[in-house]
Amino acid sequence: MTAAPPPPPSPRLVVGIDLGTTNSLAAVRAGKLPHVLRDRDGQPLVPSVVCYHPDGRVLVGREAKALRLELPDRTVFSVKRLVGRSAREVEAEATRLPYRVVAGERGLPRIAIGDARHSPEAVSARILQRVKAIAEEALAQPVQAAVITVPAWFDDAQRQATKDAAALAGIDCLRILNEPTAAALAYGIDGKKDGTVLVYDLGGGTFDVSILRIEDGVFRVLATAGDTHLGGDDFDQLLADRILAALPGAVPATRQSDPFVLQAVRAAAEGLKIRLSSANEAELALDLGPRGTARLTVTRAEFEAAIAPLVQRTLDCVQRAVKDAGLRLPAIDDVVLVGGSTRVPLVRERLRNLVGKAPHTDVDPDLAVALGAAIQADVLAGNDRSLLLLDVIPLSLGIETLGGAVQKLILRNSTIPTSVTEEFSTGVDGQTSVDLSIHQGERELAADCRLLGRFQLRGIPPMPAGLPRIAVTFLVDADGVLRVTAREHRTGVEAGIQVVPTFGLSRDEVRRMMLDSIEHAQTDYVAREAIDLRNKAEAMVRGTRKALALAELPPDQTWAVHKAVKALEALLAGAADTAALKAGCDALTEVTATIADDVISSAVTKALREEERR
Amino acid sequence: MIHVPAPDPFTVFGLPRALDLDERALEQRYLRLSRECHPDRLRATDAGDCIAVLQRAAEINDAWQVLRDPWRRARALLEAERPGVLERNKRLDPGFLASALDLAEAVADARGAATAPLRAQLTAALAADWDRLRGHVLRGELDAAARAVHESHYHTKALHDLDAKS
Repeated sequence: MTAAPPPPPSPRLVVGIDLGTTNSLAAVRAGKLPHVLRDRDGQPLVPSVVCYHPDGRVLVGREAKALRLELPDRTVFSVKRLVGRSAREVEAEATRLPYRVVAGERGLPRIAIGDARHSPEAVSARILQRVKAIAEEALAQPVQAAVITVPAWFDDAQRQATKDAAALAGIDCLRILNEPTAAALAYGIDGKKDGTVLVYDLGGGTFDVSILRIEDGVFRVLATAGDTHLGGDDFDQLLADRILAALPGAVPATRQSDPFVLQAVRAAAEGLKIRLSSANEAELALDLGPRGTARLTVTRAEFEAAIAPLVQRTLDCVQRAVKDAGLRLPAIDDVVLVGGSTRVPLVRERLRNLVGKAPHTDVDPDLAVALGAAIQADVLAGNDRSLLLLDVIPLSLGIETLGGAVQKLILRNSTIPTSVTEEFSTGVDGQTSVDLSIHQGERELAADCRLLGRFQLRGIPPMPAGLPRIAVTFLVDADGVLRVTAREHRTGVEAGIQVVPTFGLSRDEVRRMMLDSIEHAQTDYVAREAIDLRNKAEAMVRGTRKALALAELPPDQTWAVHKAVKALEALLAGAADTAALKAGCDALTEVTATIADDVISSAVTKALREEERR
Repeated sequence: MIHVPAPDPFTVFGLPRALDLDERALEQRYLRLSRECHPDRLRATDAGDCIAVLQRAAEINDAWQVLRDPWRRARALLEAERPGVLERNKRLDPGFLASALDLAEAVADARGAATAPLRAQLTAALAADWDRLRGHVLRGELDAAARAVHESHYHTKALHDLDAKS
């Protein structure tokens, strides 16, 4: 018997990451079923919270969340609601946040911590880095590539911003995957659930509903609908307003007045909501020191009356998605719930009444998205050829025409990839460039849709007006992200396209920030690897020594083992580098492996397993 | 801005140009082509991201959208057989246009119980349009077939408006 050799690291390990508004986590698929990756404390969920400590440290996850009352204006949460949006769009929302959001370059939101300015992408990157580190530790190997999920209703700018955040975190984002689609994968992976499924995904900050047809390993999205600004956070806010009203004196509910009160009230509101999911009534006595004490009792009926309009909005989306799928409600075979906010009883009750079916609850609503992402990651890594995912674009894409109307080029719910080609010409003799504005949304007027960017076709050979023929191809890739290419027909000249994105980071910004972060990520990983290896080597030395005392070996074998242990000990005592330590461990493993004695090999294996568990 | 037609969907699917296709077989073909050409299948080889692969997958998805809808399929078939035929046959019979206008008015005025017979009438008109179209295509009368497609549009729209009311 031999000491169990470490499993050979796969050349390209791809994990699935659920980058949530409230929590984030990673999962991986080994074999048929995926599993979530846990940190040292056994926790899979990383709170999507980043704290920029005055002492220069940047804390992420539970450590950051613990500081939200102590450092309310330096602790950033719900950053997903800011990603890929303009400062003006998030203005109203920002006044309710305890941290400061200011308008930066090109009117983009920046999170102001002291004098520093952080882009939402950079904050998201911190969260992704933490999730990646946990995954690497759990898997004991580096993670370079991932499938990252976003709400299905995210538009082009929000998807691009998420890809940028991944790049900043040193992650090769192989695919942006829609959250409800991921959940459907986790639900239908056992192959026994072919049929039409409705996925209802109510998270911390976003709502999605998708209708899918599952058949023979093909997961086909028929339609999707949603709201990127509707989630559990909004339920919390309604309760927070009640708590603020219960405070003595008029406490204005803005960050400027008191970030501590805002943060404390938010935390209390979340607690109330969770209690109201199981109890009919919840009491709160919130002591805010010199700012007074809020005492109140909220009944479930009151809470439900407050959130009912929000829940109704989600049901309107459900009906629209069913209609867009060309179906009627009775055609739905099963309902899958995703997102922590689906634990609210009113949500389940109203949905059941609408669809006429009890929701499926086998998949943990907090983990389903990450598990599904892991399955898709496995498919993209080339390990599973039986599955295929066909997703759709959530919102129509169009181009602004004369008079400010939008001509739709690609309709919502088109299966992606999808493409369309249009020909443009010039209006003036000798004109060498043409400007185009791309919009996303369902409304007729450009002003009512989101301007994704302005494109300039350049390098058109000078010709009389109307003569050039520039074919522009708009292609939406499998991430739901638009790519534009252009060619002038008469001359065959590849027209240059300059894109000025309205939202998010410019390509140069991403490149610059990436160089910084990749260096850091590399150092971080190397440092952690060295620590892990040291622990492993120490465990081997201890285990082998113990076994040597027990085993009855011929003298030459005892001597060989003893020598290898000594050598490894010497390496540990000196400042040996990772490579040397690794060689020492391997040498010891090799020696014990040749010995026909179970005591030695099992002792080494046992020691290693204990070390891993710690 | 001039729309550049996508490649002929029948060619993309490797099917003969025919008006009547078996829906189930068509769907199976779509899924098989997707399995072969979807960028996810080629991601592991790093080719999944290149424009040509995406373009091929987009063609399959877009062709499927056209072929699965009988009327869009008919338009694609006529354009593929005789490019420009739809554009050249936009002038419709005045008698037909008058009756189409009457139908549109009836739809606008329809309330409650009056919608059901109107719906039945429109559904029957569309079925008749289809039969006429099929006859023209079989006899190679593509100009007449194009006019039948244009006429069906009025019935489709009236039906759509009627559905939107209820």
